[in-house]
Amino acid sequence: MSEAQETRQIILDTAERMFGDLCDKQLLDAAEQGEFAAPLWEQIAANGFHHLGAAASGTSAADLYAFLMTCGRHAVPLPLAETLLVNNWREPDNGLYSIGIVDGDEVVDVPWGRRAEAVIAVNPATGAVCAIDTPEVVRQSVNMAGEPRDVVRLTSDAVPLEVADDPFAQLALTRANLMAGGVQALLELGITFASEREQFGRQISKFQAIQHSLAIIASEAAAARRAADAAVDALGDERFVVEVAASKARIGEAVTVAAEQVHQIHGAMGFTHEHRLHHFSRRTWAWRDEFGNEFFWQQRLGAHLANLGADKVWSFMATRG
Amino acid sequence: MLQFDRVSLDSDTETLRAQVREFLEDNESHFTTPNSDFGTGHDPEFSRKLGERGWIGMTWPKRYGGGERTFFERYVVTEETLAAGAPVSAHWIADRQSGPLLLRFGTEAQRETYLPQITAGEAYFSIGMSEPDTGSDLASVRTTAIKEGDQYRINGTKIWTTDAHRNHFIICLVRTDPSATRHDGLSQIIVDLKNDGVDVRPIANMAGGEDFNEVVFDDVMVPADRIVGEPGNGWTQVTSELAYERSGPERFLSAFRVFVELVRACGPDPAAHEAAAIGRIAAHLMTMRRMSISVAGMLQGGKDVAVEAALVKELGNNFEKVLPEIARLAAPESAIKGRFRETFEETMLLSPSFTLRGGTREILRGVIARGLGLR
Ligand SMILES: Cc1cc2nc3c(=O)[nH]c(=O)nc-3n(C[C@H](O)[C@H](O)[C@H](O)COP(=O)(O)OP(=O)(O)OC[C@H]3O[C@@H](n4cnc5c(N)ncnc54)[C@H](O)[C@@H]3O)c2cc1C
Repeated sequence: MSEAQETRQIILDTAERMFGDLCDKQLLDAAEQGEFAAPLWEQIAANGFHHLGAAASGTSAADLYAFLMTCGRHAVPLPLAETLLVNNWREPDNGLYSIGIVDGDEVVDVPWGRRAEAVIAVNPATGAVCAIDTPEVVRQSVNMAGEPRDVVRLTSDAVPLEVADDPFAQLALTRANLMAGGVQALLELGITFASEREQFGRQISKFQAIQHSLAIIASEAAAARRAADAAVDALGDERFVVEVAASKARIGEAVTVAAEQVHQIHGAMGFTHEHRLHHFSRRTWAWRDEFGNEFFWQQRLGAHLANLGADKVWSFMATRG
Repeated sequence: MLQFDRVSLDSDTETLRAQVREFLEDNESHFTTPNSDFGTGHDPEFSRKLGERGWIGMTWPKRYGGGERTFFERYVVTEETLAAGAPVSAHWIADRQSGPLLLRFGTEAQRETYLPQITAGEAYFSIGMSEPDTGSDLASVRTTAIKEGDQYRINGTKIWTTDAHRNHFIICLVRTDPSATRHDGLSQIIVDLKNDGVDVRPIANMAGGEDFNEVVFDDVMVPADRIVGEPGNGWTQVTSELAYERSGPERFLSAFRVFVELVRACGPDPAAHEAAAIGRIAAHLMTMRRMSISVAGMLQGGKDVAVEAALVKELGNNFEKVLPEIARLAAPESAIKGRFRETFEETMLLSPSFTLRGGTREILRGVIARGLGLR
């Protein structure tokens, strides 16, 4: 293993342990009631994970996204994707930050805007980015997973910011990685449940229909992960945006298939609030639509290919990877 | 958990890719109807030309005519020829699985005899696994090969044997010890389709082609040294052969030309739903290609890829069937006549075979489930 790979492994192992200990059903339920997971956030900051990918941290952007995949696998109820990007887009600091989308004189879909010490506004149409240092929450709102998605006022004193790779695509890439981790969790939950639940005198995992369903989920999980990694590897490349397009579009489809199958495997138990499955299915469903859904990114990628023309399609596909 | 590492074709392969593209352009006259299905387009002259360039048996040792090149280089040649719609089926099976099988399990004499002919693009092989009563349950084969002195007497019927009427040899899975049960007593044996007195009867398929056959063995006598490797080792050998059969680019590119024609039909300024259809197909293909290259990386590293290969085939074959459906609904009206229609219809008619040949979807899901520890 190279040194960079070792660093990544240490980060992921540590994160895995931390989330395994702290990020349980109780915490997820509390977060959904609006309670901020302060102890978890403090642990993350104590490990320096909120600075992953920032130049001075000795870690790479690839580490940042690998960490987010682990966050997705544990449904970590904090605006980590946003805080990490903010710390990569400007001088890293120790606050909790968030990012939203410009809509008129408001910034919408701001994860945990109510707790953010600064909010960065991205205008997807122009690519312009600016920082709001004393954010004022206009309305509180949540996505279908109960994750805070607030509305913040876009103030005239917002400070413009230069971001290297397309900022909207970077945001989409955070969701691609969270989803890839989420689909992995769906697979693991499905395997566990199918091995524990018995009907007709045997574990339901012994039924071929259930095995096939899990094989389908496993295939989607593997595809999601490979697609997420490929887009991360394109950071800094001229193809970054189209690679993110392929990634976010493909992984969105993986969520659709995996979530449907895994709920079927869980029977009525998976439809309860008590079981933790919904923390993963609702999140992955919601993330499909954040920062461009499948249709949005398919169009971007399709328009790019149409513009290249039929006889260039193959060489586009066979470049990179 | 199943993992597909970040593997990319190293930059050394780019020169090779350019050479292959140039070669394909020069040989476009061989592409009567460009079709990226590896099972259509049997053209010995084209295969010999590829052989001359050293592009068959690329990873094999030089002493058998191979190129001692990497699995990545082989990957480049296979994907480039398929994507262009080149006629590759004559040498395909020999290059992909018969050669590697002989290399791994065959006797030294067999390697010396067959491998150089294969790499020259001159010897073509068929797969003799399926029988009238043996499909997915491969261990139930009944064809017998009974030793008599220094010969084997073969009796039985193989079916669905692709290109048996065009190829030179068939490697059959046979029962050499009829008293043994199931997996025991199985062997693989090479039969000369032109000279050993085998009866080959083509079977028309629903797409209008005559590519597969019924192959009847009625007291066919072959020399004892045609047994591949050890008698009785057939089951181990045949399962290792299947892993080679499953992970390559032919498992997701069969419908690729439909995609190309869709892009052509939609033109440079597509409507939103047209662009989305193009992007959706591209997103799937890009991801599967990378997964398939990850498997090439595992092969290069000498790893067992049985489960990963099944997973790539499962995703790839299912999508090969979905691709024409997406394209059909998205294609503009102007495409109803012309190249799109032609390519679409040809592929649509072949599509039922995509999730059957090389192991059905249901069997592959079983392999993946075993990999997940469920059985
Ligand atoms: C175009 C084409 C080319 C081919 N070329 C060759 C060749 O060159 N050489 C060769 O040997 N064979 C060849 N085959 C045969 C191919 O390998 C078989 O079709 C395949 O193994 C399935 O066998 P079968 O068709 O008899 O279907 P069956 O095994 O009878 O299966 C019928 C259906 O039942 C399902 N099924 C079977 N068992 C199970 C199970 N345990 N659980 C759940 N479902 C099950 C199958 O998935 C399938 O859906 C070719 C097939 C095609 C279509």
